[in-house]
Amino acid sequence: MTAGNARADDAALQRAAAADCGPVPLSGGDVRGQLPLGARPARNAIIGAAVITYAWLLGGAAPFSTRALIEVLLPGAVLGVIAYARPPERIPAPESVDTAGFSYWIIAIALLFEWEASAVRDGRPWHPSLTDLINPLIAPHPIKTAAIVGWLLAGWALVRR
Amino acid sequence: MSDWTITVMGFVAVIAVLVVLEILARRKVGRIPTLSEWLGFAMRRPVGRALILAGWLWLGWHYFAR
Repeated sequence: MTAGNARADDAALQRAAAADCGPVPLSGGDVRGQLPLGARPARNAIIGAAVITYAWLLGGAAPFSTRALIEVLLPGAVLGVIAYARPPERIPAPESVDTAGFSYWIIAIALLFEWEASAVRDGRPWHPSLTDLINPLIAPHPIKTAAIVGWLLAGWALVRR
Repeated sequence: MSDWTITVMGFVAVIAVLVVLEILARRKVGRIPTLSEWLGFAMRRPVGRALILAGWLWLGWHYFAR
């Protein structure tokens, strides 16, 4: 073995040792060494409890009150800060979407808006808007809390996209 | 059938269409993108991201603060 070969072997051993000391991504984790969602049960339980508690508090706020407005805006501000200051690992967006396939979505959403707009324009009890139909459904505090949790999770999902 | 029922059935039908589109997209029927895919595509630009997040915030304000 030559001196050059020995140095190359030492360098290879050092690289291997350094690789062993680095973060090891688990299955489902990302290359930055973050653990997958289910790998931190205590942390996830704390975050889940905090989200449910927050949703419960917001669900109890009186409609049209300053408290309700602030409690809705606060998650938006927090997610905005996270999205721009410390963005999470994002799910890669597709390079393109099929125009014809996407048009089905646009047509269905346009129909929903048209049906809603006609209800709002009529303003008659026999032609209720979607809001008129949903508000009584989410009036009970536990159901409103569940709806707010869903809304918060949707916001987090949007930040990750 | 009352007008109220027709209105409700209209909403149910449109929402059912949206659900069916998502199911078809997940089963890779045709080239329909999933909701997540086209939202992700729309949010590639900062303007799209800001608009969609604003829409999410408006939904929260509309249903939970009013």
